[in-house]
Amino acid sequence: MSIDYSKEFSVIEGKPTLAEINDLIARPTETRPDRGYYIALTITLSMLLIGIVCLGLTFYYGIGMWGNNQPVGWGFGIVNFVFWVGIGHAGTLISAILFLFRQKWRNGIARFSEGMTIFAVMTAGIFPLIHVGRPWLAAYLFPYPNEHGIWVNFISPLVWDVFAVSTYLTVSLIFWYVGLIPDLASLRDRTTGKIKKLIYSVFSLGWRHSNRHWHHYEMVYLVLAGFATPLVLSVHTIVSFDFAVSVLPGWHSTIFPPYFVAGAVFSGFAMVQNVLIVVRKIFHYEHIITIDTLEKMNKIILLTGSMVGYSYGMEFFIAWYSGNPVEQFVFINRAFGPYAWAYWIMVTCNVISPQLFWFKKIRRTIPVMFVIGVFVNVGMWFERFVIVVSSLSRDFLPSSWRYFTPTPVDLGILLGSFGFFFTWILLFIKTLPVVSIAEIKGVIEGSQIEHHAAEDSTSFRPRQQEGM
Amino acid sequence: MSFNQENLNYRIKEFPRSLNLLGWGLLALGVLLIVVSFFVDRTRSSFNILVSFMFLMSIGLGSLFLVALEYVAGAVWSTPIRRVSEFFSTILFVIPLLAIPLYFSMHEIFHWSHTEIVRQEPALSSKSPYLNVPFFVIRTLVCFAVWLLFYLLIVRNSEKQDKLKDQALTTRNIRFSAIFMPVFAITITLAAVDWMMSLEPHWFSTIFGVYYFAGTILAALASATIAVVFFIKRGYFTNLREDHLYSLGALLFAFVNFWAYIAFSQYLLIWYANLPEETTWFLLRWQGSWKIVSIALIVIHFVIPYFGLLSQPSKMNPGRLLFMSVWILFAHLFDLYWLIMPTFSRRGVVLGWMEFAFPIAAVGIVIILFTLKAKNTNIVPIGDPKLQRGLDFRL
Repeated sequence: MSIDYSKEFSVIEGKPTLAEINDLIARPTETRPDRGYYIALTITLSMLLIGIVCLGLTFYYGIGMWGNNQPVGWGFGIVNFVFWVGIGHAGTLISAILFLFRQKWRNGIARFSEGMTIFAVMTAGIFPLIHVGRPWLAAYLFPYPNEHGIWVNFISPLVWDVFAVSTYLTVSLIFWYVGLIPDLASLRDRTTGKIKKLIYSVFSLGWRHSNRHWHHYEMVYLVLAGFATPLVLSVHTIVSFDFAVSVLPGWHSTIFPPYFVAGAVFSGFAMVQNVLIVVRKIFHYEHIITIDTLEKMNKIILLTGSMVGYSYGMEFFIAWYSGNPVEQFVFINRAFGPYAWAYWIMVTCNVISPQLFWFKKIRRTIPVMFVIGVFVNVGMWFERFVIVVSSLSRDFLPSSWRYFTPTPVDLGILLGSFGFFFTWILLFIKTLPVVSIAEIKGVIEGSQIEHHAAEDSTSFRPRQQEGM
Repeated sequence: MSFNQENLNYRIKEFPRSLNLLGWGLLALGVLLIVVSFFVDRTRSSFNILVSFMFLMSIGLGSLFLVALEYVAGAVWSTPIRRVSEFFSTILFVIPLLAIPLYFSMHEIFHWSHTEIVRQEPALSSKSPYLNVPFFVIRTLVCFAVWLLFYLLIVRNSEKQDKLKDQALTTRNIRFSAIFMPVFAITITLAAVDWMMSLEPHWFSTIFGVYYFAGTILAALASATIAVVFFIKRGYFTNLREDHLYSLGALLFAFVNFWAYIAFSQYLLIWYANLPEETTWFLLRWQGSWKIVSIALIVIHFVIPYFGLLSQPSKMNPGRLLFMSVWILFAHLFDLYWLIMPTFSRRGVVLGWMEFAFPIAAVGIVIILFTLKAKNTNIVPIGDPKLQRGLDFRL
């Protein structure tokens, strides 16, 4: 096996024409959903319904329906919140950071992951609301001069969360929509239905694919990418502050901010990889979302998984190194205490399973990578479970130690959150282009301008050497 | 006109004699002052050696990381300038030599090396399986050896490729570089904990390795940028464009922010929890005139480089980029000074001719090693298959 490094390989396989790209990506939005789609939608809606029933029970009887108990005040509500916010991290990483790093392979997966980000953050938003127990009072989390004179506590990370997550959702939404405008215009020009035409016309904002439009568009996109990049870091950093600013052993650790960010990207990539493996098969996008693209995603999963592993190791080492007996107890308790089962699921799924991606063959075998992707998300859910529950269930006072057991309502709400998320995903892939038509056209072989180095006026060539 | 082989076969490059003189002059002056300072104040000199030692380690190790990163990431734009980082990583050869005086003055520097004191303090004796002189020496020597091993593996292949033009060497280097990544993560963490965190043996912070990593990459990127601008001004890098400089500037800007992010995370979490076992470290840096240094660090290491590199033209103009790179390199030295010296002088800032003597020698060493290596090696990896793509790189 030898690779020619002197040539750049196209991220798209084959040489599809522009019209073919239009047809292929627009087809799902123009055809009637088939039977499989309805079956999938039935499943996700059923899951969502179970979640709604469980939420109804919670609202009617109160939070006593959950497994939370005296030392474990943060149960599934916070675990699920952190999990879903984490899933929502890959989107902005792919669309903003990889864009700034000029990674062309992102073009095939950016649109979907941006959409996924929005749905994941929406799902995540449910949990703090229900976790506070009185969701109807949540509006007071926004600092506004109200007649009750209620003002937020600005040094509470919960308030920072409100700002961080709502900013993130807003910017992600704008970023996603701005990226959609040229594609909506393409759909507008293709569609025959009157109502569809009206909707696409309104939302494409009069886009005419003119040179000037593109010029402004590229500028806006670059600026938005710059704005979105710090947000990738800030949101999960602030989620990590929810834990790390406390004085609870196992939560208070200075590595939490970058560790949470790495973990979030890790789980988000695994989710994007999983769903796209299915989507590319059903919609026949194999030459757009190529096996090379999936391999690159797997490399990022390996990288971020190893960062998470580094953080686990560092926490363990420093717990010993600190010489603090309480700190040491917490970590021994995690690995060998009553929650050892959860801890070892976490380590196996998060640290060990992605290491298989060191092998090229595994990086390029779809069934194996799919399974590893599922493992990663299971592991990342358990990571949050271990952090939240194991630290709380055995606090400073041994007489108050209690084991946390989730109730069926807890599990129902978790299931419902998956139903909510995947329902949105299903609606999305059938109503909007799941791959960016415009960006894919930009990376087809031959669409880029050829450069000639020496003829460029900006090169640092001294005048007298011109004839060389 | 493309970059063909004829105009690439320049093995010998004329460096200005003044550069060589400057290097040796700085080294001679530095060494002279160092010898005097060892007679004046041995402890203070030892701490100063540590600052410059870590500074050199940052440039050398960070540069090797940049080389490996290019291979792993499959980066193309940086291929024409990769040699610059390879030259800087030769510093790794002098790191073990510079550690020798530190090994001999461990009692002056490291509180935990006094076994009698450690035995009486339970908080320290619980760490003694890790913090003891023999294990420390073994650990640090293993780290040095591992870095040199990877230097030889990666850089030698890269140089071999100049003659052989063999693509298989790139494949091999990609493998070595991938293996180097986890090795690098572990060894740089050990280096940061051993040489700097253990100065205050009671204190601990899980992010400390990442903090040093952020500074290391900044130092390596800044050094690379300085050398690239120098080569451009000498007319050696005729085919480089503003696009390459922009990329370097953007990376510098990104890591300035990354450093600030890590430093802020560490500070905020310790300040917020307000646990005495952790706050001591920051309180020491808030004592007396150290307060000025702490505030200055934020300005020097973040505010000025942030605004200095924010705009697009500032990342493309060679002169401005050169200034900012020198500034960032100085900022990293200042950061190390802030990390290390408060342990020596707890009451307040200590700043005299001694604090300048050691960095002067360090800069001399960097210049000498760089020119020595650059004289006998192609300054562009002419056999690298990615070279032409790198030269054609356009934003």
